[in-house]
Amino acid sequence: MSEIILALPVFFPILSGIFMLFYRWGKEEWSRKRELFIEGLVVANSLLIVAAIAGGADGDRRIVLFRLYSALTIMFKLDPMGSVFAGLVAFLWPLATLYAFEYMKHEERKNTFFAFYTMTYGITMGIALAGNLVTLYLFYEMLTLVTLPLVLFPLTTEAVRAGRAYLYYSIGGAAFAFIGLVFVLGFSAIGTTEFIAGGMLDVGRALESKNVLLFVYVLAFFGFGVKAALFPCYRWLPKAAVAPTPVTALLHAVAVVKSGAFAILRLTYFSFGTEFLRGTWAQWVVMGAALVTIAFGSTMAVREVHWKRRLAYSTVSNLSYILFGAAMMTPLGLAAALSHLVAHAFMKICAFFCAGAVMHQSGKTYIYQLNGMGKKMPVTFGCLLVSSLSLMGIPLFAGFVSKWNLAQAAFDSGSGLGLVGVAVILYSALMTGIYMMTVIVRAYFPSLAGQTEAAEEAALPGGVDKDDQEAAAEVVTAEDGLTDPGWKMTVPLVIFAAAILVIGLHSAPLISFLTMIGGEAG
Amino acid sequence: MIETMEWLIPGVCGMGLHLKLDGFRLVYSVIAVVMWGVSGAFSKQYMAHYQKKSRYYLFFWATFAATVGVFLSADLYTTFIFFEIMSFTSYVWVAFDEKPESLRAAETYLAVAVIGGMVMLMGLFLLHDVLGTLDMEQIGVEAGRVLAGESTLESGAAVHVAGGFPSAKAQLYTAGLLMLFGFGAKAGCFPLHIWLPKAHPVAPAPASALLSGILTKAGVFGIIILSCTMFTSDGLWGFLIACLGLVTMFLGALLAVFSVNLKRTLACSSVSQIGFILTGIGMSCLLSWAGEGNLLAVRGAFLHMVNHSLIKLVLFLCAGAVFMNLHQLDLNDIRGFGRKKPALRFCFLMGGLGIGGIPLWNGYVSKTLLHESIVEYAHFLAEEGQALAAGARGIPESLLSVLTSHGFWKGAEWVFLFTGGMTVAYMLKLFVALFVDRHPERQEEFDQMSSGYMTPLSRAVLTGAAVILPVLGMVPFLTMDRIADLGQGFFGGSGHAHKVNYFAFANLKGGLISIAIGAALYLVVIHGFLMERETGAAGEKEKGRGSGLRYVNRWPSWLDLENLVYRPVLQTALPGICGAVFGFLDQYLISTALTIFFSVSSVVCRSMDHLTDGVVVLARKTVCRQLPEPKNHPETNWLAHVLGHFVDRWARLKILLFGKKETGRVRVSAVHHFIQREKRIKHMGNLVEQSFSFGLMLFCIGLCITLGYLLFVFYK
Repeated sequence: MSEIILALPVFFPILSGIFMLFYRWGKEEWSRKRELFIEGLVVANSLLIVAAIAGGADGDRRIVLFRLYSALTIMFKLDPMGSVFAGLVAFLWPLATLYAFEYMKHEERKNTFFAFYTMTYGITMGIALAGNLVTLYLFYEMLTLVTLPLVLFPLTTEAVRAGRAYLYYSIGGAAFAFIGLVFVLGFSAIGTTEFIAGGMLDVGRALESKNVLLFVYVLAFFGFGVKAALFPCYRWLPKAAVAPTPVTALLHAVAVVKSGAFAILRLTYFSFGTEFLRGTWAQWVVMGAALVTIAFGSTMAVREVHWKRRLAYSTVSNLSYILFGAAMMTPLGLAAALSHLVAHAFMKICAFFCAGAVMHQSGKTYIYQLNGMGKKMPVTFGCLLVSSLSLMGIPLFAGFVSKWNLAQAAFDSGSGLGLVGVAVILYSALMTGIYMMTVIVRAYFPSLAGQTEAAEEAALPGGVDKDDQEAAAEVVTAEDGLTDPGWKMTVPLVIFAAAILVIGLHSAPLISFLTMIGGEAG
Repeated sequence: MIETMEWLIPGVCGMGLHLKLDGFRLVYSVIAVVMWGVSGAFSKQYMAHYQKKSRYYLFFWATFAATVGVFLSADLYTTFIFFEIMSFTSYVWVAFDEKPESLRAAETYLAVAVIGGMVMLMGLFLLHDVLGTLDMEQIGVEAGRVLAGESTLESGAAVHVAGGFPSAKAQLYTAGLLMLFGFGAKAGCFPLHIWLPKAHPVAPAPASALLSGILTKAGVFGIIILSCTMFTSDGLWGFLIACLGLVTMFLGALLAVFSVNLKRTLACSSVSQIGFILTGIGMSCLLSWAGEGNLLAVRGAFLHMVNHSLIKLVLFLCAGAVFMNLHQLDLNDIRGFGRKKPALRFCFLMGGLGIGGIPLWNGYVSKTLLHESIVEYAHFLAEEGQALAAGARGIPESLLSVLTSHGFWKGAEWVFLFTGGMTVAYMLKLFVALFVDRHPERQEEFDQMSSGYMTPLSRAVLTGAAVILPVLGMVPFLTMDRIADLGQGFFGGSGHAHKVNYFAFANLKGGLISIAIGAALYLVVIHGFLMERETGAAGEKEKGRGSGLRYVNRWPSWLDLENLVYRPVLQTALPGICGAVFGFLDQYLISTALTIFFSVSSVVCRSMDHLTDGVVVLARKTVCRQLPEPKNHPETNWLAHVLGHFVDRWARLKILLFGKKETGRVRVSAVHHFIQREKRIKHMGNLVEQSFSFGLMLFCIGLCITLGYLLFVFYK
């Protein structure tokens, strides 16, 4: 039975992660063996996914693992939209793992870290491949639990606080999403919650209690929106920036937050169906929330001086680009949302990895400390430049492609709020220009920045931890020997930057594929 | 006619690139190559003493590629892509020497480029949505259809698409304005000219030459596409562009007259010349709206673009020659540098005469054409203004009266001539400062530099570039008319091409008026108001030999659009207001919501908790009240007493018999121990008894229920 290939990429990393938790790797010099094992495992899993996608992703291949009763089944299914997310994750994970080896080199408790990191891979795949809302919900909850130890990893007060916030927000959100699950099951036309392009509600029955269902949709949207950092439930994300960079980069810029966005896309286009939702008050509510979040995130990013937190706010803003596309509820909207899902994954992971590389090499975490580092770490900042320009939406880079598609879809949707959305995107692009270019300019043209540094430091809000300042003071002395990090960190960076350029220059195949998905589901 | 070449690259950057080479594009590509070649050759000497040469050259040639890409583009999407690349690569030029003022200027440049680019992109989205295409061949047709289709329907019901969407015509105008913003920002059109006077003085001179000579033209190129392709015969649009042109022209020249910095003066002059070009473009729209042939305006605008590119190349490179020797640009510091340097004087003179519009030099030809186009429109209005006003539709009454008033355009003609005069005046100011005045202290030093101030290569390319200007101006029928023939198709020029005799008195008159105004301005304003007597010892010494005058900056320092408006708005107001709003949301709204939620929910939960507790508490207070504990615990059991006393006695006996062995241990009576033990045993017994009885009781109840059920079932 070849359909087992759909379940393997989910359970293989989970079981391996559990195995790693209990296996004793012996002495520290054996870490090489462990690295080989993990990398081999992750690459093998990615290959499995590629093989599964290559075997056909038309939605006909499915595997039912477990059947509680006829309506509640754990089922995997590979359809085009799932394969976009699965393929994206499969591409990013091995590279991020490679980066993590070097980043975590000096940390304690590496074994725990990598065990959970690997398990997360399987669970993210579970979300990508989930064939119905029940499975999606199950893995969605598991994702919260398995990534919690990664957020807690530094075990500082701040980290514990962040972990607690993450847990509260995620579990709370999932509770709202659960309401949606129950109602979708209740009003399903097929008796199960299986995803069907265009929605599977029994429209006749649904229209009878339209407002209740719309209310439930809004609840579920906000519930899943918690992971996608939708205003006002975004708070956990900037806090979680205390986690090690491989976690903030891969999980809090891609896997976890995109799971939230992906779940919303599934809910909107594959469960409720756009036909039912389009033009209702529920659409305006969720679109309005997405627009507020776009403006909010980018403005807060400008105000933030901690580099990773600034990127986290930028993620808040960019995730809502995806949700904005989702809320348009048109075929083009879905295509635009997916294109931003892909493009943002590359550019934000690249930006985070650059921040991580700087932290790893110099210990600097605040933007005003970056003066003139562009010349000392040419590869890192070169990649950051690519990613920043892409985030701003400059042509040649991936961000431009997705922004173009989003704006086109917004105009095409023909609604007044769509036009407002374009204006908000313009505003956000300007803010992105400010918050990303200030970093770049500081790194490459230091003298102006150097002059205002003292003033800025004096004007800092009181939120700066004493530890950070001391750590910063320590590394100032050791600054001269600053170089680019080792190959395990630079290779993923360069690949991501190259991917941004490739998508930016030759996006036609990707966009036509995504448009096809949109055409089916819209 | 040359053959048109096209190159389509599908799929790249999303929508594919589309490049094309035809008349106008050919001319501008050749100009780009010439300009980059000349300034590249000049850079060799200019950059000789700089670090980071490789960075300079990298971005130098990257910008070249992007600029040529802009001029070759055949659809607006391609234009936009190369335009953005050009903006970002040229940023490095401005920031090149990393001094605080350069970085500030570069910041301004970047901000203008980014904001302009983003606004333009929004215009592009809207345009693509309205017209469905961005191809330059087709947007004209589609836009014409939208504009015309709207005007036929307008007589009926108001046309509005559902959902609060504005009409297609309004969308088209919005798109046009947004894109005009983006292109105008690059062209240096008022009020977005702010970056030019800041960026030029700090950039390396070859880069300034290109920034001013050709990068601004990329913005103009975009405005041409908008005006001459989309809004071809739209009176309103033409009026807007012409007014922007007139204002830009006048203000730029005014700033230049006041400026006391060599490169700043040239930069302001660039702003002013862009104004001339925009006026020409606006006039071409207006003439075509009025139904007249617009060839004069089209040819004038195009030739002025070409001339300005070539002239500014020469002038900025001359400024570069000054700067690389002295590292000064203030007119007071560099005066007299050009004495005894014939090559520099020749080149600067050619440029100055060219831009001043002196007959026999190239600037004269294009300015004459532009002037004639305004005259023609004014003339036309004098004759048929009423008919035009009556026939126009879709334009507000008040605007229409201005648009067709003869007096307004007569005034515009005089603004044009007066600005030409100011051009002459500020070029004269520069020339006199550089080549006539003497420096009070360093004149000997300057004179000694005469031999080695330029390498042969620099001298050769600069002279070569300068010689072109009079050649173009002296035989315009052979040279400039042909260039204009190549370019006019792109501008959508139409109508009869009557040969203009540039050297007839009617045409010379305008130029001569400007020169007269210029001379008067120089003598009265610059000598009288913008110069003052040298003070101090140097002035005293100088009195005998030179003029003893120095240049002063009389421009009020607060009157700076950037510092007065843009920076406060962008840096304080916008992030301040939005930041405050969102900060408030972040800090208070959510915290408050959370606090309220937690306090309410904790009160609710606690009260629910107390519900069950309450029953127990109530019972304890009433029915099951605890009995007061007995005051004195009788130590009950006699067996414990007996055993305890026995053990105690035994122990005492043992001590008596064998002596005291364990010292330091306080003896405790064993009675107490036994009592404790007994209590525990009793307690356990109680528990067992109770739980057993309890279990038994439950069992009995269960049994009774079961029995009852059985009986019930049985008897049913």
